[in-house]
Amino acid sequence: MEKKFLVFYGKEYSYEKLIEDLYLLRNYSPYLYIKGNNPYQIFLSIIHSLIYDYPIEVIDGDLSEKELEEMEIDTKSLFILKEVKNQHKVNDFQTLLNDISENKNWTLTLYTSGTTGRPKRVSHNLETLTRNVKVHDKFKENIWAFAYNPTHFAGLQVFFQALCNQNTIIYTFDGQEKNLPDLIEKHKITNISATSTFFRSVLPSLKGKVYPSMKRITFGGEKYDSSLEKPLQAIFPHAKIRNIYASTEAGSLFVANGEVFEVPVSISKLVKVNDNNELLIHHSLLGKSETYTLENGWFKTGDLVEQVDPNHFKFISRLTDLINVGGYKVNPIEVENILIKVPGVIDLLVKAKANRVTGQILVAEVIKDPETDEMELKKSIKQFAGKYLQKWKIPRIINFVDEIPKTRTGKKVRK
Amino acid sequence: MNKLLNIINQILEEAGNSPVNSLENSTRLRDDLNLDSLMLAELTVIIENEFGVDIFEDGIVETIGEVVSKIEGK
Repeated sequence: MEKKFLVFYGKEYSYEKLIEDLYLLRNYSPYLYIKGNNPYQIFLSIIHSLIYDYPIEVIDGDLSEKELEEMEIDTKSLFILKEVKNQHKVNDFQTLLNDISENKNWTLTLYTSGTTGRPKRVSHNLETLTRNVKVHDKFKENIWAFAYNPTHFAGLQVFFQALCNQNTIIYTFDGQEKNLPDLIEKHKITNISATSTFFRSVLPSLKGKVYPSMKRITFGGEKYDSSLEKPLQAIFPHAKIRNIYASTEAGSLFVANGEVFEVPVSISKLVKVNDNNELLIHHSLLGKSETYTLENGWFKTGDLVEQVDPNHFKFISRLTDLINVGGYKVNPIEVENILIKVPGVIDLLVKAKANRVTGQILVAEVIKDPETDEMELKKSIKQFAGKYLQKWKIPRIINFVDEIPKTRTGKKVRK
Repeated sequence: MNKLLNIINQILEEAGNSPVNSLENSTRLRDDLNLDSLMLAELTVIIENEFGVDIFEDGIVETIGEVVSKIEGK
């Protein structure tokens, strides 16, 4: 039987088909901008750029022309086509892998998702992009649920991990979330990497079921939510749960079992924490960009961490996420992690509201269980907050909403 | 005044304080109603949402009377 490469909305693409299409693809663009983000076209184009060794710039197909303009991307150049000069036939998968690894000029440029400010352009070579990709015989039969935007860093990580081990990718992103239980069962999915938000949104449809096929669950792309670990473990009893620290700038760097990240010995001299508890990464670990501001060669990640010992740390919050309430710095994620436990709260977002008395106060936008009464829930949230949080960390205003805005990568927008 | 009374009582009750029966123009926010800075911040945000007025826009507000004139645009 032909080994499947990708399953996308019921359509199956084998590795043979992939190799054939790589040969047939004669015209290419150095810009990868595919409206609707069809994952097959995206993956095919990336592999094509590697085989023919030309730099490629990956642009999210969900971006509107207006957004592209704001990113200073010349929309006309997106549709320029070039022709392959020396057409090259790959015979089998092993040759494909060899050809990929022999690239010299290839870089992949992408944009940070930009929760604050203009998205930054970052270029990676194959080494920085696949630093944490592991190839091993024992991974050969892995089947991946693909749960990220394929043009974003986390999605590319899953893609390379799956490709390098010749695994099958089952696309579960972008409207496919509700089909996840069926897809896991049908394809015997073994690995899934997704954001906490994704897991939270699929949990109701997975509840009460047990899927023994799942071997590994990875949290990435946003702050890890430890309260999801228990329910996920019940649904996936054989899965190891891991948490990954990665950024578009630095790639995937650390892995945590629970909340404590380990700094690998190989890069321990290139990672440090400054006096303000901000995580710093040496520039040699980064992709290339003209927009970094370095301090003596160190890149400030904007991530606040708590150092447990020289090689371990916990992630506390994004520096820019802190809200100043009357001089007290509040980490909205801490408040969210506490208040998500209030019965009747399904999801919530804590953000700042400016005022002239305390500078900012906290506002919570809450998605509630339809059965719960609004007034009662407001009271219980405030009481719960009063019991477990200092008073400046209590959301003073509580609004009930149907949806919490997210960036394209699925991170909550705290604006 | 009734709407304002409801807002203030809601803030007081949620903070675990007893509600008040009525408000006078001379009632002082901090000294009589025991509203702290965070409760005042909450009050100003709620009033801004309900009435579109920032009561602390031009300085310090001490009494209910001053809040009411701000809301009424005096």
